[in-house]
Amino acid sequence: MSDKVSNLIDITERESAADDIWTDFRPIERITLELAQRYHYSLGKQSRFFIELQNRRFFATACGSCGRVCAPPRPLCPACLQPTNWRELTGEGRLETWSTLHFSPGTNADVAALQTPYVLAYVLLDGADTLFPHVLRAEGESLRRGMRVRVAYNEGPVSHPIHLMVFVLA
Amino acid sequence: MPAAPVIAAVGCTKIASEHRDCNARDLLADALLDLLADAGMDGLDAVEHGLASYESDHFNMQMTLGAILHDTIGMTPKPGLRIEGGGATGALALRTAWAHIQSGLCDSILVYGVEKNGRGVSSRTANQLFALSADVDWETAIGGTYTGFYAAMMRAHMAQYGTREEHFAHVAARNRGNAAFNPIAQKPMDISIEDVLRSRPVAEPYKLLDCSLLSDGAACILLASEAWAREHVPAFEARPPIFFTGTGCGTDTMRLGDRYPHITNFRAKQQAAQAAYAMADIGDPLREIDVAELYDSYSGVEIQAVEDLGWVARGNGGAAVADGAFDLDGALPVNTSGGLLGRGAPVGATGILQAMEVAQQLWGLADQRRQVAGAKRGLTDTHAGIASISVVNIFERHD
Ligand SMILES: [Zn+2]
Repeated sequence: MSDKVSNLIDITERESAADDIWTDFRPIERITLELAQRYHYSLGKQSRFFIELQNRRFFATACGSCGRVCAPPRPLCPACLQPTNWRELTGEGRLETWSTLHFSPGTNADVAALQTPYVLAYVLLDGADTLFPHVLRAEGESLRRGMRVRVAYNEGPVSHPIHLMVFVLA
Repeated sequence: MPAAPVIAAVGCTKIASEHRDCNARDLLADALLDLLADAGMDGLDAVEHGLASYESDHFNMQMTLGAILHDTIGMTPKPGLRIEGGGATGALALRTAWAHIQSGLCDSILVYGVEKNGRGVSSRTANQLFALSADVDWETAIGGTYTGFYAAMMRAHMAQYGTREEHFAHVAARNRGNAAFNPIAQKPMDISIEDVLRSRPVAEPYKLLDCSLLSDGAACILLASEAWAREHVPAFEARPPIFFTGTGCGTDTMRLGDRYPHITNFRAKQQAAQAAYAMADIGDPLREIDVAELYDSYSGVEIQAVEDLGWVARGNGGAAVADGAFDLDGALPVNTSGGLLGRGAPVGATGILQAMEVAQQLWGLADQRRQVAGAKRGLTDTHAGIASISVVNIFERHD
């Protein structure tokens, strides 16, 4: 963290109303502070999902008790409170809903590299009970609910391993 | 259960895109002075407990801001705590304050909400910081944004029920119009449905004018037992008492996809509403509630809300809204303050501002152009994320 004075803000344009009780507290100074962090971030028991993307395989979790198949995976079944099992899916499914985003939050280098607009899609993968969110590489205008889509893999390099995959139209 | 707490006094700052001459503690100071004037009190000596409500440590570059705020207004050494629940923070703070009084832990508690979300950071940084409030592993990492999650929900609602862009554009235009009658509002606008439809797309189907604002602002409410308020708040006797008669809270999965197939509406809100109605003994909310502040983070969310609050059948929200049922002259006026879209949304203060608007309405003290005549019972609806936490609070005037 650094803290250096970078600019003085002139607030003289702020007219002082007759009832302004803070006239003795002008002007106001604004400084620039910077805070950058680096995280050695564990993906925890979700890790195998990301590792298998490098092998071009798509894994969900299945609960041995209630049978619910979750993608994204859940190491602990929230209904049964017991560990789940990994289950491979084909990576094909159907588009349930989506939004075409016209700005990127730039949350990581992969996201910052996305060309806007891009499609945020929710996909019901064959064999799963939940929707998996990811970018769908397609024109927003061409999309219809129920369209078949599939996972497409890439070799990277990526800044976050979730970008070893993307959805494309099947 | 003891009698419900009362709203003893309220105060707030103007809501703005940026208060350049104020940091978070300055904003609180102004809101508190406004509350003291409202209460006719000259200090907080008698107030027993503090409760800080703010969402973001990032935007302030300050953790433990709750302790600083408590200190700023001279509440030390009295007990205090901080509540955080995303967008629901302010409503959750009031619900927590309700429990403090109902439990007998104290007879008076000052709930103070503050947020500096305005222009302290670049919009790019603001987007990144807000993206951290989604599931970082699965939603933030892919480039998801809350605008996008809400938009995907609304697209599902449109596909399922035939809801149209014109329906939610009605909300965007009406709430900004209501804001013109609220002197604290950040962004009153006289716009048409056409203007909303023509604004640039942000996350389809949502366009720029469907989206709420980043705001700076503070608000506080003094919640107390009726006896305490009569003894310590000079202004209390001059107004009909307003009781905090119901509070409900519900939750849902963090990620929208885990709710499949329930992706058109907010289950957490349905649960929160039912709990609040049961507590306040409300059987027919559309008839028994006179005024409400709904969480219009995006215009379509108000349509989902009138369904999830049980006011209209699922899927009929769009048509009911477009019909004017919730306009100032409608059956149940909502967002008379302008809502998040028009008044603004300083996150930790938002739920408190909603309750403050309801209080002004029940007291009959709102600007006459937005005052709902004879309002006796009001509701606030506030949620976090895409309603991963939802809070419904109910307030009643007793004559
Ligand atoms: Zn299970």
